[in-house]
Amino acid sequence: SKATVSVLYWKGGGERKMSIFAYNGGAMVAMKGDGCVAIASDNRFGTQFNTIGRNNVKHHQVGSRVFVGLPGLETDNQTLLAKIKFRMKMFRLREEREMPVKSATSMLGNLLYSHRFGSFFVEPVVAGIDEKGQSYVAGFDCIGSHVAPEDFIVTGTTQDSLLGTCESMFKPNMNADELFEVVSQALMASLDRDCLAGWGASVTILKNTGECITRQIKTRLD
Amino acid sequence: MSGRRFDSRTTIFSQEGRLYQVEYAMTAIGHAPLTLGMLTKDGVLLLAERPQQSPLLDSEEGLEKNISAEKLFMVDDHLAVSVAGLTADANTLINHARLTAQRYAYTYQEPVPIEHLVTVMCDIKQGYTQIGGLRPFGVSFLYAGWDNAHGFQLYHSDPSGNFSAWKANAIGQHTDAAQSVLKTDWKENMSMEDAMRLGCRILNKCQDGSLTSEKVEIAHMTMGDDGQPKFHICRTEEVDKVVKETIKQKEEEDKQKEKERREKQQG
Repeated sequence: SKATVSVLYWKGGGERKMSIFAYNGGAMVAMKGDGCVAIASDNRFGTQFNTIGRNNVKHHQVGSRVFVGLPGLETDNQTLLAKIKFRMKMFRLREEREMPVKSATSMLGNLLYSHRFGSFFVEPVVAGIDEKGQSYVAGFDCIGSHVAPEDFIVTGTTQDSLLGTCESMFKPNMNADELFEVVSQALMASLDRDCLAGWGASVTILKNTGECITRQIKTRLD
Repeated sequence: MSGRRFDSRTTIFSQEGRLYQVEYAMTAIGHAPLTLGMLTKDGVLLLAERPQQSPLLDSEEGLEKNISAEKLFMVDDHLAVSVAGLTADANTLINHARLTAQRYAYTYQEPVPIEHLVTVMCDIKQGYTQIGGLRPFGVSFLYAGWDNAHGFQLYHSDPSGNFSAWKANAIGQHTDAAQSVLKTDWKENMSMEDAMRLGCRILNKCQDGSLTSEKVEIAHMTMGDDGQPKFHICRTEEVDKVVKETIKQKEEEDKQKEKERREKQQG
């Protein structure tokens, strides 16, 4: 992304530009298992190279079987989450059923596109269990195009590294315990190399029974 | 008296200073099935009379059970309403209420306070009595909710846009009889079960003793174990239990009265 935010002056003069998507930093993985899905994020909250928070989990449960991950510019994360919750609540009240994960994905894509020419600086992730009990993950760009692959989605400042670690560690139809191990190891391996993401990680496993467990992973704290 | 011809338009006063359309709306509501609300020790109770259901009506299996019944609707997790009047008008207003609640939650990141929502709804209703030449909404609501500032509350609003807070109230038909029973029998800090039986007793009285569980809907707003308010529409089994207990109570009272009458005759 070429959009830039202010500048960071070095001692010797000169400027350094950083992508607006990297301003607050963050890393996310969502991975499919057999009847279960994992969504994981780092815990860091910072402004460029300063860390100012260590318990900023970036994924949120917005429905009994739907999680959304928001790893971009923090102000946009917060507003998007509020907008998503609004829409999911109205859906539930009007239709008297919870919004399924695929509908939530389409809804989020539509929401992002409605700001096509003044976009949110977030590239969200959706993870959940569909009505048939199958796992589902989807990833978006900042203007709403989405894809739902068969394996995993990664996003955030650590995206490129995470693609490598997840690709090498992933295998299809893992059970909840295996999935937890793979996601944790893949995330940790990448976080250590990214100065904008880290300070611990949260990994949530959602099963098709509705059971949902979040574990905190201790990583390098820097 | 040519002014008379126009006095029936919503936005125009009559010669005696009345708004006929608003009064006609309230008359329409006076024909609607009765609905009651009561504050109790455990929360707020809403009861509604349900007219006879056709056996041809399709069931609503598979839907979430605590969002709506025929006359009772969730507006947000902490606020629900019961309706008396034109159902279509009610649906529009309830949609408005739901959107208003979500907009507040979006802006302030906390649930909408009950009185604020009631005020917004009443401002909408009032607008239809003054602007635009459209007819008023033919609906009265009982709002049952909980907020952090004032705890459990019950409000009533009518087509004029007027509202007030109540400890117990009845709207629809037979309200005179219902309210007189509420005045004598509703007690501060009643339990929810006692209130449900009182409500069913009132409904039974207004239906001339023919109450069955198909004819009543019961719902309540109480505090859940997690410290968050919970709206629950009673299932058939729960309603059955309350109706049975109410009928039994009435039979015992009737027997007692009969006994006393006979004793008085003999004495």
